[in-house]
Amino acid sequence: MMFQIDFKSGKPVYLQLVDQVRYAAAAGSLRPGESLPSIRPLAEELRVNRNTIAKAYAELESQGVIETLPGKGCFLKENNSPFTRQVKNKLLLTEIDEAVVMAHHLQVDREKFLALVKERLDYFDRKSKGND
Amino acid sequence: METKSPVIEIKDLHRRYGRLDAVNGLSLTVRAGKCYGFFGRNGAGKTTTIKCLLNLLRPDSGTARVFGLDPRKHEVAVKSRLAYVPDAVAFYPWMTVRGTLEYLASFRQHWNQDIEADLLKRFQLDPGQKASHLSKGQKTQLALIGAICPEPELLVLDEPTSGLDPIVRREFIETVIGAYQTGDPARRTVFVSTHLISEFEGLIDEFTIIEQGRELLTMEADAARDRFQKIRARFAQPPAQLDFPGALNVKQGGRELEILANGNSEPLLERLKSLSPEELRCESLSLEEIFVVSHLLKKAGV
Repeated sequence: MMFQIDFKSGKPVYLQLVDQVRYAAAAGSLRPGESLPSIRPLAEELRVNRNTIAKAYAELESQGVIETLPGKGCFLKENNSPFTRQVKNKLLLTEIDEAVVMAHHLQVDREKFLALVKERLDYFDRKSKGND
Repeated sequence: METKSPVIEIKDLHRRYGRLDAVNGLSLTVRAGKCYGFFGRNGAGKTTTIKCLLNLLRPDSGTARVFGLDPRKHEVAVKSRLAYVPDAVAFYPWMTVRGTLEYLASFRQHWNQDIEADLLKRFQLDPGQKASHLSKGQKTQLALIGAICPEPELLVLDEPTSGLDPIVRREFIETVIGAYQTGDPARRTVFVSTHLISEFEGLIDEFTIIEQGRELLTMEADAARDRFQKIRARFAQPPAQLDFPGALNVKQGGRELEILANGNSEPLLERLKSLSPEELRCESLSLEEIFVVSHLLKKAGV
């Protein structure tokens, strides 16, 4: 998979990498069992500290998104989130609230907002199927 | 790891040249495994500080410790664990590339031949070439090979990429990341002084900006990019005269506002959102921009 980092995004670089792996997993461009680039070439290519890549991979591992097989590298895991339903809801609600607040300020009404959410869900579904 | 003594510890360091206070009360700490940026304008005191760490200069007062040791008393113990690439590298002109590396290796207890072969190939250096026939870029590459092959715990780089072409600069940084950092991460510390900050942006964990021999700003890179942000907003109508307390700078051009936030981008963004902007964007300053801003702040006496 390809990564893109942006020092101006205001988000720590390691979290940008974490988000991109999670996005790729949700969109199906990275499938369970597929390997992530190894740390050294990726660090050289992105010209970032290798500690940053290691930190991103450690975070993904603690979130249960990837697993490290010693001597082999990092691989995307089957999507079985270790979080309970309550934790899942709580994590999701924070993100949803942020989008709702944003929609309010941009004067996007309820119907348009819901339509957009549906459109994005369809988009990821299509993408994920297209990659199968 | 946190309890280990820092790799570099400078406390209240002073060094003058005649009447000039080159280093004037500098303190900083570099922990093991970090890549530490040491940023300053020409003449800010960077090289003088580094020379005090390497016992090439004696401090007038204050302390400089490397691996917890005083470089003046334990020069060999300190130097055997670090490598230094200065701004202008000089080799014996009659020696070949191979001869130079053998000469450098003779001072070291450990020398990684695989890395040497790998880097000679990568830089396309001819081992039979005489040092006097090397270009500036090739001399720096040779110095970098000489610095990385002993696999030192500390790599001190003083303006390593100034005066080099973009390709050589790029390769230099990739080599520091790839060949040097690949070993045991807790035993690979980089201390790099530079004013070509943008090239090292991704590498820097933490930095100190030095000005007139004093610390201007010390921060972790992520924290600095979080603190210094540029907010742009566009409104349907030119906004009435607004004051934004705590903002470093507010610029208005017609219907657009540009605000420089200093650790308060959240409340500023909330405030702007309540004014229903047509467009609202927020981006972090780069380390180079932060470098410029920190000098402006000092001028303004903030």
